[in-house]
Amino acid sequence: MNAVTDRFAPVLLDVQDLEVEFDTYGGTVHAVRGVSFEVHAGKTLAIVGESGCGKSVTVQSIMGLIPSPPGRIVGGTAKLRGKEIIDGVTTDGEIVRGSQIGMIFQDPMTSLNPTMTIGDQIAETLQVHRGFSHSQALRLAVELLEMTRINEPSRRARQYPFEFSGGMLQRSMIAMAIACGPSILIADEPTTALDVTIQSQILDLLRDLQRENNMAIILITHDLGVVARMADEVAVMYAGEFLETGTADDIFYSSAHPYTVGLRAAMPTNRDESEQDLMPIDGSPPDLFAPPPGCAYFARCPHAMEACRNDPPPGFAVGSGHMTRCWLHHADCSRRIDDLHYAAAAPLEGRDA
Amino acid sequence: MNTALSFAPVVAERDVEVISRPSLSYWRDAWIRLKANRRALVSLYIVIALGVFTVFGPLFVPSASIQDLDQISSPPGADRSAFIVPPYVPWSGVTVNVRDAQGPLEAPGSMTLVGEATTQAVRMFWDPVPGAHGYRVYRNIAHPAPDDALGMPLADVLNPSRVSFEDRLDIKPGEYFYSVVPLDMNGVEAPVYTTLDVRAIRVITADEAVKRGLAESVADLAVGDEVKLKLHVLGTDYLGRDMLSRLMHGARVSLFIGIVAPFLFILVGILYGSAAGFVGGRVDQVLMRFADFVVALPFLLFMILFRILFKIEGGDSGIAPMLIAMVILSWPAAARLVRGQILQIREEGYISASRLLGAKTPYLVLRHMIPNTMGVILVTITFAVPSAIFTEAFLSFIGMGVAPPTPSWGSMCNEGLKTMLTHPHELIFPALFISITVLAFNLLGDGLRDALDARMRSQE
Amino acid sequence: MIRYTVIRLIQGVITVWFIATATFFAMHAVPGDPLMNDKAISEEIRRNLEAQYGLDKPLPVQYVIYIGNMLKGDFGISFAQENRSVNDIIREHFPVSAILGILAITFAGLGGILFGALTARYRNKMPDIVIMFLVILGISVPSFVFAALGQFALVNLNAFFGTSILPVAGWGTLSHMIAPSLVLGLGTMAFLTRLMRSSMLEIVSSDYVRTARSKGLPTTRIFLRHELRNAILPVVTVLGPSIAAITTGGFVVELVFAIPGLGRYFVQAVQQLDYTVIMGTTVFYGAFLVFMVIVVDLLYGLIDPRVRLE
Repeated sequence: MNAVTDRFAPVLLDVQDLEVEFDTYGGTVHAVRGVSFEVHAGKTLAIVGESGCGKSVTVQSIMGLIPSPPGRIVGGTAKLRGKEIIDGVTTDGEIVRGSQIGMIFQDPMTSLNPTMTIGDQIAETLQVHRGFSHSQALRLAVELLEMTRINEPSRRARQYPFEFSGGMLQRSMIAMAIACGPSILIADEPTTALDVTIQSQILDLLRDLQRENNMAIILITHDLGVVARMADEVAVMYAGEFLETGTADDIFYSSAHPYTVGLRAAMPTNRDESEQDLMPIDGSPPDLFAPPPGCAYFARCPHAMEACRNDPPPGFAVGSGHMTRCWLHHADCSRRIDDLHYAAAAPLEGRDA
Repeated sequence: MNTALSFAPVVAERDVEVISRPSLSYWRDAWIRLKANRRALVSLYIVIALGVFTVFGPLFVPSASIQDLDQISSPPGADRSAFIVPPYVPWSGVTVNVRDAQGPLEAPGSMTLVGEATTQAVRMFWDPVPGAHGYRVYRNIAHPAPDDALGMPLADVLNPSRVSFEDRLDIKPGEYFYSVVPLDMNGVEAPVYTTLDVRAIRVITADEAVKRGLAESVADLAVGDEVKLKLHVLGTDYLGRDMLSRLMHGARVSLFIGIVAPFLFILVGILYGSAAGFVGGRVDQVLMRFADFVVALPFLLFMILFRILFKIEGGDSGIAPMLIAMVILSWPAAARLVRGQILQIREEGYISASRLLGAKTPYLVLRHMIPNTMGVILVTITFAVPSAIFTEAFLSFIGMGVAPPTPSWGSMCNEGLKTMLTHPHELIFPALFISITVLAFNLLGDGLRDALDARMRSQE
Repeated sequence: MIRYTVIRLIQGVITVWFIATATFFAMHAVPGDPLMNDKAISEEIRRNLEAQYGLDKPLPVQYVIYIGNMLKGDFGISFAQENRSVNDIIREHFPVSAILGILAITFAGLGGILFGALTARYRNKMPDIVIMFLVILGISVPSFVFAALGQFALVNLNAFFGTSILPVAGWGTLSHMIAPSLVLGLGTMAFLTRLMRSSMLEIVSSDYVRTARSKGLPTTRIFLRHELRNAILPVVTVLGPSIAAITTGGFVVELVFAIPGLGRYFVQAVQQLDYTVIMGTTVFYGAFLVFMVIVVDLLYGLIDPRVRLE
């Protein structure tokens, strides 16, 4: 369903070995534990995983939105077009946040300032980054609202958030995020708080805007349906790590990690070829105060082996651009699990994502 | 890489479902959280200490109305020594022959102290001024020098040959400045004066000392012996009453009102509010509208009005009227709160769930409604205590609270204000007690709110 | 908004009527004739009053007359001070109290917002710890203690410098107003600081401030346009009760600083059992406070579009 990923599209954002920790009462939470990924121009990268696995923290740390204290970035780099960014600003002082990278959030109802008009909130970005006058910026804000398919945009621009529905608020958020024509839009669970029909409209809007502006999207979601619909590339995140990365097709049709297989089995489908019940994954993610020494999925994995207990699995390449962290792909492992996709060629041992 | 990797499947049953923390009851959990809050815990100890101070303190100190006239407005740690002197014997004074003279009157050449200046009497004489028809004697506690402030006129000596004066007027231990001004034939002061600087020491007769219980018998005492006056740890007030004793008795009044009034009006509020909440509909509307009106009454004005209404009869301390007035005016806030809680809880999912499982109303009330409103009510009481204490203090301060001589912290502040500039301890101690109590209850309330608030709990 | 204003005003009028009625019956429940107190009043005033208020008539009739007079804005004549009408007393002394109150509330409001924002910004750091310690003191110390201590400090300060830096008591010039209004506003300022701090902390971690930061706005702009304005809202809602607190707190401050305000007159009237003054002042203060609460609510509507456009 998706166009085959153009691997030659230029790399916009390159994140390497990102590590984020939070100091809390009970100790240090290792929220993100060495995550690496690339974002290509005009493409959508979906980061998928359960609540609390570190998806939002990953993107928020790139944007410099982690409240600090208690949060801190302890390792890794993020480069936008080769320039390193720290706290949303490149090393040579260019403000990336809000201009080059836009962001929308999960709950549009609470994500907008209740005492400012929608128009002012959109215009504000333009005034700050583009140096527009207030009236200039407001005119553009109205155009942006129109672009995000809000009716009567000039009247709506003068209204306050509480006069908007959830779907319209999310459209306004999108208008705000794309106001400065960013090359990357980060969408953190953009449709989770919306009902299904609105959800669909918002996703359509995002895709259209992406096409029109050749904008990359980082989509954070726990909904595999949304991933299937939107993503070019997918990263499956679990307990602060990427367990599997690859194209959407890789993830859906050639899952190489038991967790991905488990997620798919737990996803409802409308095909009736299999009359199977939904299969929940037993248990809950590990405590990130003290991450397990071996594979993070060890405690819940139906195929767990002794090696998984204490040795963290490295990334195994199971296809072009398709990586998984699972000992089952080790050359010496003779077990073959039915639902799992294995690399045709000999695995490239120890290759990092 | 690791050569010892084993790819054998894990056979042992793994605990995928682990409950990492033991489950705790609501109150146990709240108590643990309160204990972790140092400020709240210290406040709790202060409140307990205040309770002990109030309940048991008055058993160990003398009554709050005994006056120690030897020590009036004495600050804590003041010198308590007194010397034994013989009983007072009248003094005949000093008379001289006077020369007559013309011209303006001069100041007396010098003033001389006779004997020792004591709290029993200060005796002095001065050189006669030629031509003077009399003298006026002044006393001040500060030196008159800079602006000729002679102080209080003590006496006019109208016999020109008498050049002495004996002061027995309420002398306290300390420094006094006596000034003598000569008067002309018309009794008009001359613009000159002579000043005598005197330091009076505290003295007491042997009889008195025994009567005050400072010594066993007169035989034990000789003139010149030193005795110690009664100890007042926190000093005395302007009537010579022991401050500590008054603070303890005052605590009974202030804390009684501060704690009983909130309990009563919150009780009324609970009954009223839960009635409105349970019955609902039109009745609820009417009840709450009435509560709104009572809320709109200006609180302190009506407290004052009610205090006039429940006029204090002779001997009445004025505590009961204040209590009644407070309850009449304060219940609506609690009623609103309880009603809101009940309405909210009634709609909660767990009530419907419990009902679906066949729970009867009494069970719902006991098991769900009361435990879930208890926290809010407890916190409300804790915050109502300091404001009730403030109200009592405020009313007593403007003279509308408890009637003298009943002590309360507020009325003590009121009395202390009058002597604030000379004896600040009379204001500072009761003010300190009010402040510490209010502070402790406020911090305890903060701690309780944090400990009992379920929303806060889920953040950890 | 207009509808809302009209409804609030009607409610306010009903509330004032309730206050007047409650005052009337409270005063008439006092045993004996309100004219019979130990203060000797001249036969003339007594006759005048009896004629004017119909004190010999049955209670319901008296009530109607009382409400009628009140509607005409006539609060009667003072018992304690012959030939002085309550209206005169209010007219003469209320402006003094009002100036004192306005200064105090301005000081309390600005201070509360400033210190609250400051403590939230430096949460758990030195400024926060110091200010919050003072705030807890401010909340726990009664207003009359502040007044007394303020005066005490002023006396010593003046003595120390050998000149009068600020007058210790009295009224008249701006320098007379500074110390009492500071003292009067202190408690409320402490309360508002606390409120502002918690409100600010909540908003700093709110979703829309995160959004503002994701837009790459400068910190000062986020502070002024997103945090401050929203954090002030809860402070505005308690401004009504704060005005009430400052009004009654004024009684004490006027007493201690010897300021000829209405509060001092009220306390004096209460001590002298000057019934007409008590009743008139109570109703006047009641109406004033009800009106102020309405004004504050309408003001809140102006700041918060959610209320304004409802």
